[in-house]
Amino acid sequence: MAAQYDLTSKMIPFLDLHLVFPLLEFLEINELFYTPTTLLEARYELSLKTSMIDFIDKLHGELKDAGVTPAPIELVERRKEILDKLQNSQAEAQKVMDVIENPEVINALRQDKLQNLQFLKDNYGMTAEMIQTLYKFGQFQYSCGNYGGAADMLYHYRVLSTDDTLGLSALWGKLASEILVGNWEVAFEAVQELKEIIDKTHFASPLHQLEQRTWFLHWSLFVFFNHPKGRDAVVDLFLQPAYINTIQTSCPWILRYLTAAVVTNKRRKNLLKELVKVIEHETYQYRDPITEFVEALYVNFDFDLAKQKLAECEEVLENDFFLVAIQEDFIQNARCFISETYCRIHQKIDVAELSQTLNMTKEEGEKWIVNLIRDTKVDAKIDYKENTVLMNNNTQSVYQQIIERTKGLSFRSQVLATSIEKREAAQLKAAQHEKNHPSTAVPETATKA
Amino acid sequence: MSRFFRAGESDSDESDSDYSDELTHSESEDHSDSDSDNSSSDDDDTAKKTGGRGRLFEGSMSDSDSEDDTVRVVRSAKDKRFEEIEQAVTSMINGQKINDWVSAQNEFDRANKGLQKAAGIIAQSGVPKFYIRAVADLEKSIQAALEKEKSSSKKMNASNAKALNSMKQKVKKNNRLYEKEIQDYEKDPENYVEEEVVEEKPKAKKAKKVVVADSEDDSDVEAADDGFTPVGAGGKSVEFNQENIYKKLKEVADARGKKNTNREDQVRILERLLVVANSPYQKIRVLLALTSAQFDFAIGASGYMSIPLWKNADKYLNSLLTLLEANPDYIIKEDVPEVEETDKDLVPQNGEPVYIQGSLVAFIDRLDDEFTKSLQNIDPHTTDYVDRLKDEVGLYSVIVRSQAYFTRIHLTDSISRTTMRRLEHLYFKPDIVIVAVENATAALLPASVARPHQDSSVLIHDLCVFLYKNATSLLRTRSMLCHIYHHALHNRFFVARDMLLMSHLQETIHQADVTTQILHNRAMVQLGLCAFREGMIKEAQTCLQDISGTGRVKELLAQGLSPQRYGAATPEQEKLERQRQLPFHMHINLELLECVYLTCSMLLEIPNMAQAGSNPDGRKKVISKPFRRMLDYNSRQVFSGPPENTRDHIMGAAKSLSNGEWQKSIELINAIKIWELMPEAMKIKEMLGHKIQEEGLRTYLFANASHYSSVGLDQLAKMFDLPLASVISIVSKMVWNEELSASIDQVSNVVVLHHVEPSKVQSLALAFAEKAAGFVEGNEKLLELKTPQQAERPKKGANANKEQATGKQQQQRTMGPRGGRAGRNQFNNGLGNSVRGGRK
Repeated sequence: MAAQYDLTSKMIPFLDLHLVFPLLEFLEINELFYTPTTLLEARYELSLKTSMIDFIDKLHGELKDAGVTPAPIELVERRKEILDKLQNSQAEAQKVMDVIENPEVINALRQDKLQNLQFLKDNYGMTAEMIQTLYKFGQFQYSCGNYGGAADMLYHYRVLSTDDTLGLSALWGKLASEILVGNWEVAFEAVQELKEIIDKTHFASPLHQLEQRTWFLHWSLFVFFNHPKGRDAVVDLFLQPAYINTIQTSCPWILRYLTAAVVTNKRRKNLLKELVKVIEHETYQYRDPITEFVEALYVNFDFDLAKQKLAECEEVLENDFFLVAIQEDFIQNARCFISETYCRIHQKIDVAELSQTLNMTKEEGEKWIVNLIRDTKVDAKIDYKENTVLMNNNTQSVYQQIIERTKGLSFRSQVLATSIEKREAAQLKAAQHEKNHPSTAVPETATKA
Repeated sequence: MSRFFRAGESDSDESDSDYSDELTHSESEDHSDSDSDNSSSDDDDTAKKTGGRGRLFEGSMSDSDSEDDTVRVVRSAKDKRFEEIEQAVTSMINGQKINDWVSAQNEFDRANKGLQKAAGIIAQSGVPKFYIRAVADLEKSIQAALEKEKSSSKKMNASNAKALNSMKQKVKKNNRLYEKEIQDYEKDPENYVEEEVVEEKPKAKKAKKVVVADSEDDSDVEAADDGFTPVGAGGKSVEFNQENIYKKLKEVADARGKKNTNREDQVRILERLLVVANSPYQKIRVLLALTSAQFDFAIGASGYMSIPLWKNADKYLNSLLTLLEANPDYIIKEDVPEVEETDKDLVPQNGEPVYIQGSLVAFIDRLDDEFTKSLQNIDPHTTDYVDRLKDEVGLYSVIVRSQAYFTRIHLTDSISRTTMRRLEHLYFKPDIVIVAVENATAALLPASVARPHQDSSVLIHDLCVFLYKNATSLLRTRSMLCHIYHHALHNRFFVARDMLLMSHLQETIHQADVTTQILHNRAMVQLGLCAFREGMIKEAQTCLQDISGTGRVKELLAQGLSPQRYGAATPEQEKLERQRQLPFHMHINLELLECVYLTCSMLLEIPNMAQAGSNPDGRKKVISKPFRRMLDYNSRQVFSGPPENTRDHIMGAAKSLSNGEWQKSIELINAIKIWELMPEAMKIKEMLGHKIQEEGLRTYLFANASHYSSVGLDQLAKMFDLPLASVISIVSKMVWNEELSASIDQVSNVVVLHHVEPSKVQSLALAFAEKAAGFVEGNEKLLELKTPQQAERPKKGANANKEQATGKQQQQRTMGPRGGRAGRNQFNNGLGNSVRGGRK
């Protein structure tokens, strides 16, 4: 059932070759949707495009074990070729590295890239081409699966290079490397940096920028759902107009992650309204249990449907590479949402029924409600005899209303008074004889009933 | 002498004067008979020619006119006029007796002139009998004279013979007008004059035409060709041959646009040339000239090219395209250097194509424009219109054909222009029609040129995508609008909406030209109708608001002229507006549009009004002004009869909806006949019924909340015939949105309504607080007024509330945000953006 909600195939076009491996592995391990052999084959096909010889070899072997005989490949030759290339570029890059790692040089480097370049050129004979080798070497290492090294090289390249376009792709490379290494802290920084660059750069066509943003949205998922601060960042970032537009235009499925992030994010409840609007408008393009859950709850107020969708959500989340980690969290928060909405609308609630709505037993439900009352300061009481929850009427009292209405009056009058005084002073200065004509406005003394 | 006549005199343009001469003749006999214009223009050529010649004599006669007035006797106007005529007639009879045709002709003309002067009198009392007798006799004696002339050996002198000849023609033509009278006379020549019975209808309709062609002899034809010098004495077949074809062409081309050029002759020459021409090059050249000659004809009073001429042009254009298809080495281009020796047959040599100067795309444009113009001018409720519309297939096939041709020779600009034309012929049509047109076109054209498209959406998509990629920005905009219209027509609301938003058309449409703005308005309206069909009431209302809400729908959609208030428009503006009108078959049904708009407004406005209740702030929030106005007007009436038109029905439905009588409301809405024009009318009625139930429930709750302390959900469901679940959903939504201060008691399944009934002191306190706030605000405003330089500060407090309020209102009216690449979120402001397509 959940196969239709699998987004892997939709997302792959927007990911880097190497980033796809973890996704496929996840599917393979959990034995989801596809037969393991097809997945293995897919991974093998992918790996052929990389330079990860050992990995190819391994997959080749696994495929054979699985009973599929892939086309024979000239592994030995390729390995030699790749190793040669690796050595060559390493040697070239080493020259640059030697210079850079020299403590004297490190001390001499400044903020200004051009100046640095000049300095290196004058003192060490480094040219732009030589710096380019760093980029190439990094790229090659990445292709070989040596992500750590690649990240390193690309970092150095970015420090020295003045080429914007290559700098951008180096940053992409660095982000990918950090993601694959699992170095979330650094990756998070890279994401922020990348975002700034994408927003600032003037691309030749809006389409190009859209493409970059789409990629960015996909890649950043890796970071955001692994970094502790990630979920805040997802909400912050994805709800920005530019990115919401990107989601709507080119990749509506990202809505799932945005929704999940908003739901699990306790502090951002006011964002929910915005999210609901977006979801409502994308329903014709994209829907899955997660967005449907929000829709049922906040658009149709259909608690039964919400309950049903929540159960479906559980399954979908379990099968999603990115969201599997927050599944528990999501369910908790979703229940919280349901009960909160429920309480706001209802005055008297049957505990048994509420527990059922939340997919819980009666005892659990009662506990849950007690916790809810305690945590969120909902003004409610449980009637044990009737087994109901009574919500207290929380309409604003008249006194409250009057206080609200007259709150600003004294301040405003004060402002008025000072401005009149100022004006008078100015008038006095300007023309002494006009002193006897103050403005008609008399300062209003604030009235508080 | 009529003013027409004078105008004809001074106008030196040959064909025009021919025409006005016709007028003169009929005018001279009769002012009131309007038929004569049309019928006389149907006369064949010879009659016209001789008429034309006769005019010269008439002109020369006008000098001697004044002599008669020497004797000043007071007589009645009638007598005076008739006496004049009688005098002339008598001298004419004398002249013809002594065989002096010159003087007879002069007198005849004078008599006619007199008759013309007396037109007013004649209209009352009829043509004088003596005149009829004289002209009838005259015809006979002319015939006799001619017979005698032929048989006798002695020739009469030249001027006399000429006068006789022209008399013959003139009299024949003249007498046709009085056919009936003459017949009467001939039945009883003796008593005719004596009969003093005044005929009520002096003018008989000219039922039949007398065939004039019988007596046409050589000299007549010569005379007909008089204005055309190049024709020599030799026969015509020798005249046009291979050798002089280019010379003739050049002559025709040179004569074009000059004074005294007879276009008909030009066309005739060209037609003969076409017969003679045998090489493709010659044919193409002649056809090019011929097609443009067709377009050169004066438009005349009807305001459009006459249909036979249009068909000719269509025919020639088609044969030109056939020729070009058959001879791919000949290419017509606009920017070809003028070839020096135009009198040689150019043949493509070793693969080098021959370039000929000309602009096919201009022909296509003109042909299409003329077609539209004719449709604008023909009354759409006649069979003429339908007949004319049948020509569209032909036109469409020419467009498709030329598009294929341009594609072959890679003229991008021309391709886009023709593609656009093609698109504009298609976008508003339903699928079946498009497929039919495509099939018919494919049948007309060779298979190599056009293949029929079976899927209209694919066809439209292809055309549009081509234009997006290749065309200029104006054409891109137009094609985008056509595409949106097409999507909306096919109920693809979201696709259409996204296209509209992503293209950011609404931001720039105000700078576009008026016709594009009209197209935009059309697309918006169609989008609104689409939303309505899909059951998205709010969206539909927003889309239609700015167009239907203005009361200038006709003008905004170019579907008829709206009545001008205070004569605001100058004639030029009105003329321009007239030119922009869409042909009838492209119209969007305005009554249906109004009906949809009002229904949407009702569904939104009635709950809104109920919610506002007596609260003055809420009252201000108006969703649809026209609807409120109508409702107010309707409820002010003392007696309201049963609903007659659409509007009455909707107003009635609105009233019963606000009273909670949803069944009656549904009945009234369903009784509207115009829904039948919608596809799947039943489904729409069903949808409307459902919406009315829901809105009825909401209205009921808003209106009656204060009278209940709790309402059973089951009861509500029963009352409004809705499932319990949807009642709960609706109530929950109202509670959640804080529209209704209530909450649901789940255990006993009731809605508990919270009343905040303030005590006397409390309400006074509230009022006091309100007053105080008002005071402060007033003071702030005053200060702001007095000190303009400090205007910013007080604003903060005073206007913040207002801004908030408007913001909220806007939010409620939105269709919700959707971004485009950068700011699809402006949809809320945007969708309502209609454009004043009217005068600029």
